[in-house]
Amino acid sequence: MTPAIEIQNLSKIYRKRSGIPTKAVEQLNLSIAPGEVIGLLGANGAGKTTTIKMICGLVEPTAGHVALNGYDVARQRSIAVQQIGAVLEGTRNIYWRLSAWQNLLYFGRLKGQRGSALKQRAQALLSELELWDRRHEPVRDFSRGMQQKVAIACALVADPPIVLLDEPTLGLDVQAARTVKEWIRELALHRGKTVVLTTHQLDMAQELCQRVAIMRQGRLIAEEPISTLLDLLRNEQYELRVEGHLPQDALQLSPQLAQTPIANALTITHDNGHSIVSCPASSQEALYDLLSAVQQTGMSLISVQRAEPKLEDVFVHLMESDLMESARAEGEKRPARLGKNTERKEAA
Amino acid sequence: MSTLTPESASAAKSIDVLAAAPSERTAPAAPVQVGIGAWPGILLNETHKGLLLSWSYKFNLLTMMLTMGFIFIGIVFFMGRGDLDRAAIPSALLGYLMWFYALTAISNMSWDLREEAQTGTLEQRYLSPAPTGLIQLGRSFSNLITTTIIVGLFTLVLVLLLGVELPLRLAAIPVFILTMMGLYGFGFLIGGATLIFKQVESLANLVQNMLLFLNGAFLPVDRLPTWLAVIAYTLPTTQGIIVMRKVVLEGESLLAVWADGSLVWLLLHSVVYFVVGWVVFDFCERKARRDGLLGQY
Repeated sequence: MTPAIEIQNLSKIYRKRSGIPTKAVEQLNLSIAPGEVIGLLGANGAGKTTTIKMICGLVEPTAGHVALNGYDVARQRSIAVQQIGAVLEGTRNIYWRLSAWQNLLYFGRLKGQRGSALKQRAQALLSELELWDRRHEPVRDFSRGMQQKVAIACALVADPPIVLLDEPTLGLDVQAARTVKEWIRELALHRGKTVVLTTHQLDMAQELCQRVAIMRQGRLIAEEPISTLLDLLRNEQYELRVEGHLPQDALQLSPQLAQTPIANALTITHDNGHSIVSCPASSQEALYDLLSAVQQTGMSLISVQRAEPKLEDVFVHLMESDLMESARAEGEKRPARLGKNTERKEAA
Repeated sequence: MSTLTPESASAAKSIDVLAAAPSERTAPAAPVQVGIGAWPGILLNETHKGLLLSWSYKFNLLTMMLTMGFIFIGIVFFMGRGDLDRAAIPSALLGYLMWFYALTAISNMSWDLREEAQTGTLEQRYLSPAPTGLIQLGRSFSNLITTTIIVGLFTLVLVLLLGVELPLRLAAIPVFILTMMGLYGFGFLIGGATLIFKQVESLANLVQNMLLFLNGAFLPVDRLPTWLAVIAYTLPTTQGIIVMRKVVLEGESLLAVWADGSLVWLLLHSVVYFVVGWVVFDFCERKARRDGLLGQY
């Protein structure tokens, strides 16, 4: 099957006026299947937006290729751009002085759509957005969340199979962000769109994406299904939440618990007037012993749950590992360079 | 955490569906392929949008018309040293109108591109299957229509208030089209510069002022020193004003202006400006893509 997006050896080097080249994206390879929802994650300056713009053909790569449903973006631009709809980062993307209806018709016709089919689609999108009654009002009068929904609708008006969403919830309040998130879910679940999502909201990526690609300094440092990434930090643990402050040694005093293998693996943290006791989930028996020990303290048990790693933890872990690896590699290079310099000096 | 709330239950269900193989989910319909046949529609769409945006700045249009009127009346009184020389008005008016077209063509081209880059709609325009130059041409048409409406109303007011006679001749239409072709070609040069340098107001102002004083609107070009006249003849609108005056005010036919070479020179001048403008715009657009400048402001 032809991938929806095929990225091969994609690199981008910006040449600044000072003449110093800046590597924005380096040797990126990524293949995205039709209907897949993929998160492109990374810190600011990691190269996510440049990658999205190269996929759109808005930035010319220094090397490498991007193909959208088999159409090369550089060589078959006209057909390739028909495969995508995009909401780009930090900008309005639509005309605030025009109404939602005018925006949808304009962007539909800009993509070559016309006639009653376009109007029906625009009507359907505005109805789903619950904006049909306000379709003739200028977009500038809408809330920020509504404006962003209109921007997403404009990206979808020509019904492209691929949707690129660069920080679609940036600057939105909680309610607006939730509305946009629901829409992205709708795109993925019911419309079969291939969605590339860049976001700093890792909980959103964890919830919506099947796979994430993590970038750091223009390089892809991880590209795995979410479940595989979570497995990296999956540490089978139970967490018991208890009301009140439980001292660190409170449970060690329990003679019953002292006999169990988890006795030395317990940790107690405190959060907002609660104490959280974490213990390895290796033995059900040990868990019951722990529950008894907690009961003996006389404190109220609030909840018992299995701790799951978060994508955020994995993200931080991967970034730190890559940073350390880079530092180590740099450290190895430095003595080598120093060594050469010394050799040269000695030779001189 | 795996604490189960109704919301997370819904999310978990969603993840289940998302985790399903992509092929198991609803397949998207292939997009309708858009070919060259759609380009005229895309061009008109841009013109329509430009008109809608211009109309949303109604107050600005009215102010522009008033400014245009006051400047012209001031210049006419200045030329007549405090008196209104009615005989000189038609010639000056024709030149002034052409300068006004130049003013709006040049300033709007840079203003529109800059504003669209700021709001991110410029990048969205680049996601169209049609060439961007064509879309920009559509925007120029809307500018031409808006300016023509302003110019038409302004001229009508002058005709009614001052009794100015400005003959309407069909032969003026091809001359006008050729002049505008060169002018908008020049506008594309400025537009290309806007894509790269963003702030090009000072360049646009320089050109607009040069045009006002050198394009023969108020002072015949043949009265300028030779070196300055050479510069004046190369500017857009200069040759258009010369031919327009011959055709509209002196009643010469197109054949006559062709025979005396002035129309030939206008044709050549306009074609060169249009082609050079288009090529420069295309070059700047490529450079903007290469340097990642399209969405930057």
